[in-house]
Amino acid sequence: MLTTVKCELKSFEDLARSFAAKELAAHREEHDRYPFGPFFDSVITKAYEVGLLGATLPEECGGIGQEISALCIILDHISAADASLGGIIFTNALAQEIILAADNKALLADRIGNAGDARSSLIATSSFSNPSETGVTLEAVKIKDSYLLSGTMEYVVLGGLAGHALVPAKIKGAKGYSFFLVNLNDRGINKSQPVFSLGLHACPAVDLNLVGVEAKLIGQEGEGEKYFSRASDRMHSAVAAMQCGIMKGSFYEALDYSQQRCQGGKEIINWSGLRMILGQMAVQVKIAEMVVSEAAMAVENQEPHWNLYSKAAALHLSELACKLTTDGIQCLGGNGYMKDYGQEKRFRDAKHVQAFLGLAPMKKLSMIRDILA
Amino acid sequence: MISVKEHQSLLEREPRFEDSYCSIQALPKIPAIQLKETRQLVSYTRQFNDEVVRPLALKTDLKTFQDPDYLPWDIVEKANEWGFYTMFIPKIFGGQGWALPSHAYVIEEMSSACVGIANAVFVHYLGFVTVLASWNLPLINRICRDVAEGERTGNPCLITLAITEPGAGTDVEEVELVDRGKVTCYAEKVKGGYIVSGSKIFISMGHVSQWHALIAYTDLKKPSENTVILAVKTGMKGFSFGKHEDKMGQRACCASELIFQDCFIPDECVLGDSRYFPNSQIRETGDLVNQIIHYVVEVTRASVGAFGTGVARGAYEHALQFAGETAVDGKLLINHEWAQIMLAEMYKNVIAGRLAYNEANYSNSLKGGIFNFLQIKPLYYYLKYVPQIVIDTFLVPFYRFKLANWAIRRIFVEGQSMEAQKRCSGWSSIAKFFGTDMGMKNSQMALEMMGQAGLRHDQGAEKILRDSKLLQIYEGTNQLNRLNLFNCLIARSVPQAKVFEEE
Repeated sequence: MLTTVKCELKSFEDLARSFAAKELAAHREEHDRYPFGPFFDSVITKAYEVGLLGATLPEECGGIGQEISALCIILDHISAADASLGGIIFTNALAQEIILAADNKALLADRIGNAGDARSSLIATSSFSNPSETGVTLEAVKIKDSYLLSGTMEYVVLGGLAGHALVPAKIKGAKGYSFFLVNLNDRGINKSQPVFSLGLHACPAVDLNLVGVEAKLIGQEGEGEKYFSRASDRMHSAVAAMQCGIMKGSFYEALDYSQQRCQGGKEIINWSGLRMILGQMAVQVKIAEMVVSEAAMAVENQEPHWNLYSKAAALHLSELACKLTTDGIQCLGGNGYMKDYGQEKRFRDAKHVQAFLGLAPMKKLSMIRDILA
Repeated sequence: MISVKEHQSLLEREPRFEDSYCSIQALPKIPAIQLKETRQLVSYTRQFNDEVVRPLALKTDLKTFQDPDYLPWDIVEKANEWGFYTMFIPKIFGGQGWALPSHAYVIEEMSSACVGIANAVFVHYLGFVTVLASWNLPLINRICRDVAEGERTGNPCLITLAITEPGAGTDVEEVELVDRGKVTCYAEKVKGGYIVSGSKIFISMGHVSQWHALIAYTDLKKPSENTVILAVKTGMKGFSFGKHEDKMGQRACCASELIFQDCFIPDECVLGDSRYFPNSQIRETGDLVNQIIHYVVEVTRASVGAFGTGVARGAYEHALQFAGETAVDGKLLINHEWAQIMLAEMYKNVIAGRLAYNEANYSNSLKGGIFNFLQIKPLYYYLKYVPQIVIDTFLVPFYRFKLANWAIRRIFVEGQSMEAQKRCSGWSSIAKFFGTDMGMKNSQMALEMMGQAGLRHDQGAEKILRDSKLLQIYEGTNQLNRLNLFNCLIARSVPQAKVFEEE
């Protein structure tokens, strides 16, 4: 749908679709076994090489300098095959967006420009929490021109892989919180094993423990909340796009299966009870496509209240995706519950993606705060 | 005043009083001591949860990811040690003889701690009820005594029901569908027994069970009237295990493939062959097969409702604890009004799920329900207080007599009216799909409340969500259960209604 609104996106659609078909679909279950199986490093390297990790990153920083709609179309098609890579692209893009919101382009260009490979070009961040909601656990102490960070930080996504991490910390005596960039190879950082989680197994998080780690301040002191909210407002549309992709994946798998599987002497798609479930799923998928398209364009064109459209899209499609993927398993019966089909993974991934950028109920409440502001 | 006849006819109107108000009819007839017993069982299960289930729940789940070959022997051993496998087997078959209706409370309790482990313990009763519903006294006795012996000697002996086939899931649950399905498990009558070939899948706890109530067919073209139920013992020649499934959740409970290759089952291990069922006044052969299936699901679907209720409760308990400990936006989550409303909603879902499975079990305690007979007060108290040795000496020897088997069929087969069967089966389906839908709802809500923390395996909430989904699928998908409810309790008021016959 987005490609009909903006036809220049077609090339990104083709790129994401063929990447998904070639690199992701066939090995989905194998990739999902992480951390109890190998990490799909070669896929990340290829994604890095074709530019999937820098869609909205300005060209001067080493990206391809596209608008949010390109990121959405990429996430949509990647997540339809395997949302784990979607989660990596999302988390990395969120970190980039926060740094860009703070006008720190030069830093970004330097760090990414100097990265030798895909892993070290990644920036980890706690993409599932809104720091002002759940509190900031790291403390920063200013010593001359630099800062030293200490404390523990839970669930830093990509923390075990990336070269750098973008983390929120409180500066002693200052108001609010600030973002800092740390080098994950710093000796003062202790990383846990990958935190085994519900979904997005191949987009792992770790808990970090920092002791006097040298850190680079992003933007101004105490302005963290402003940068986060600016970036997350944009990135909500990317959450919606991921959910849209997961929904499509689940729907087409169910549609396909129900034409093969026979019960009661005919293909189950020909029982109207099941067809009704599929019909409901089709409605949800079509709505999702519309919503992603509208939300992405609202963000891109900076339409009035664009941030509300973006957030509403993420909230609504997350609810739809959790419902749809539940039915997506149901259509396959016992088979849907097994790892051999993608349905159970999509069910876990949808619920996982719902948690991006903070608690869902708090996001709903913030809609009203924004409307009244 | 209205006449007696009018009174009766007013109560016969839909919704029929008899079918709609089960608890108030059943309660006066239930032995009072069952309340005390249920309290004992619930506290016993809470202790088991503290000492065994909770320490193992997350650890076992993780282990199944690390080691795909893991089989839950450790859990089986513990449950066996604690007596859970004979707990609800009647004393007349050598079990502990706690009232069967109490099992649902125990299930809810254990499921609230870990439904995977609860299934590893209680799916054994799915096998047991299938064996029981054959009303073949000598064989029921033999199998149940093996379970009791296994408990005494520390060699757990569990029973499974082997019914689902690769090509037939929903089909094998309904006699009306099975003739149109693709069943492949073929049993050929030979001298002295049957030879079985075929395979069964998704058999919960298959690999770690000793007895398997196997559903096979003597004519694959007309399975509805050619069904045999065979008792197969692990180790019998021609019987082996295939893979066990890589499931999303309930991973403590293995789902096994059972393979039969020219497996000979001797006559004394035949629980029933529909071709030789004694004639019935009210049922054709296909209906008699259906009655057996429904006797099983009348109990087990309500039990799955209790599983779902337990899951709903586990999710609620996780969310409650999290809300009490976590500050969001500067104050504890529990003090956000929206969170209080959400928790109240979750609490309600638990209560409503519990009411549904309870009502289904009260329906099973009414006349024509499977619990009814053993709940007759004098019989109940007699069996409770008489020493086991008296039962074993004076009652058990009669099991091999035709008269005893005729009597038991008289009570349970002919004694269950079609109305009673429909009441019990309909209620069981309600409890099943409602309770499990509540489990799914609450586990989703818990994760929404917990956000990032809920995603982590070490927090336990995400496991509840994964575990929960299976409940909407097994024991008949929730869609099939809705159709069964329609078939049992709704269709009769519209004569032109046809079920499973859509063109």
